[in-house]
Amino acid sequence: MASFSLPTNNTLPFLLHSRTPKATLSQNPPLLPKSSRSQFHGLKLSNSSPVSIPSSSYVKGSIVAKITEGSLAPAFTLKDQDGKTVSLSKFKGKPVVVYFYPADETPGCTKQACAFRDSYEKFKKAGAEVIGISGDDPSSHKAFKQKYKLPFTLLSDEGNRVRKEWGVPADLFGALPGRQTYVLDKNGVVRLVYNNQFQPEKHIDETLKFLQSA
Amino acid sequence: MAILPRHNPTFRPLHHARLSHHNSLPARIYCSTTTTPAKPSRDQIIKRPTIVPAALVQTAATVSTRPVLNDPSLQSTWSHRVWVASGCTTVLISLSKSLTTAVDSHIWIEPILAGFIGYVLADLGSGIYHWGIDNYGDSETPFFGKQIEAFQGHHKWPWTITRRQFANNLHALARAVTFTVLPLDLICNDNAVLHGFVGVCSGCIMFSQQFHAWAHCTKSKLPAAVVALQDAGILVSRSQHAAHHRSPYNNNYCIVSGVWNEILDNSKFFEAMEMILFFKLGVRPRSWTEPNSDWTEETESASLISEL
Repeated sequence: MASFSLPTNNTLPFLLHSRTPKATLSQNPPLLPKSSRSQFHGLKLSNSSPVSIPSSSYVKGSIVAKITEGSLAPAFTLKDQDGKTVSLSKFKGKPVVVYFYPADETPGCTKQACAFRDSYEKFKKAGAEVIGISGDDPSSHKAFKQKYKLPFTLLSDEGNRVRKEWGVPADLFGALPGRQTYVLDKNGVVRLVYNNQFQPEKHIDETLKFLQSA
Repeated sequence: MAILPRHNPTFRPLHHARLSHHNSLPARIYCSTTTTPAKPSRDQIIKRPTIVPAALVQTAATVSTRPVLNDPSLQSTWSHRVWVASGCTTVLISLSKSLTTAVDSHIWIEPILAGFIGYVLADLGSGIYHWGIDNYGDSETPFFGKQIEAFQGHHKWPWTITRRQFANNLHALARAVTFTVLPLDLICNDNAVLHGFVGVCSGCIMFSQQFHAWAHCTKSKLPAAVVALQDAGILVSRSQHAAHHRSPYNNNYCIVSGVWNEILDNSKFFEAMEMILFFKLGVRPRSWTEPNSDWTEETESASLISEL
């Protein structure tokens, strides 16, 4: 049921041609299958190391330093909007939607956050929790959350360490932090990866559709 | 060609007075300008959110912070006319050079195609420039400050563009065209293709403020030919430009033909540029903030009623 969608034609097609299709495969060696055979990737990654992702320098250009479908999501501990530390492990036992977004108070991210807010009850009904992650500090998250009355947790990935660890691809030749959402099952395994920079509301549609059909 | 200000019953007496005052003037096209002659009052009003809307109303009685019917800032001066004349001259030189060289060389398609490309790219250029001026900087910005102030004023009082006299409206662009095209007239020598491109592109840019003004006029006030050109998509349409003046004020920036508007808006081009500038330079565009008094249009009738 896992699916991986590309940004639609409404995004900058002339620039997206330079993006490697399917971000999960952009650093794959030719030996690995090109289709989204994420189970294979997941198995490979989980066999090679526990939960940490090998860095790209480990095996030069041959191991994907990304979390893909089938991967066990690496643990992280980040501060939330209130400055409290929150670990991903806290959410084990239920599906989690982890969405990485560029920044608070930008148009796309606001649309996305509000869309998650407006559909939050549906996510709860599906038994899932929602977590937003960006590089902004807790005070920014607090203001953002309060302003738009967001009911879910926002985490501060200062320095974008977790973003890099999960391999969220940047957009527009690295000029823009990527907008990528992961749906984790109750065991913390990634079941869906969705990327779309300029149609933020689609993240809600796709993840909800996936959760409701699972 | 006469473009009359919109009629409004509340200000009809003043309107008649205005017309009689200007009957002797050759130009009866009132258009907003990209630059407004600097008035101390405008420096006060065209600011970011520090301005309290009430202050604008209070200062209207003493210093004209909003355009009034007989506001000299809407009228053309001889300096404006000279710049428009010089701009037109440089454009005509380019076009005539293109024509004469084309005749001599017996080429037609290439210069015409170059001119068409100039027309198309002028629209793109107008959009990008307009986006930049609308979203970044303020009245204190070096070189661009006056234009930024004028654009902000235009958003607040869009109807004034229909009241500005022709040279007043175009002189800033004409000045830029003069400085740009004059060297090109000399450099391009007898290249019909280059002159075709330069002449048409610069001519469209210079007259984009006129097209812009027409896009603010009501259909009944426009010559049939202009309406036909707007409906054909050759000039930016009134409806397309009206969309730019509605919240969130972040689309339909092009003002020559508007042909690029759909492409730029659908591809999220400006949104992408805004995000890049935000992440690289830390600057937020004005269109990201909630509409405030700087953007919110003050209707013509509201403005004029407060002056009575």
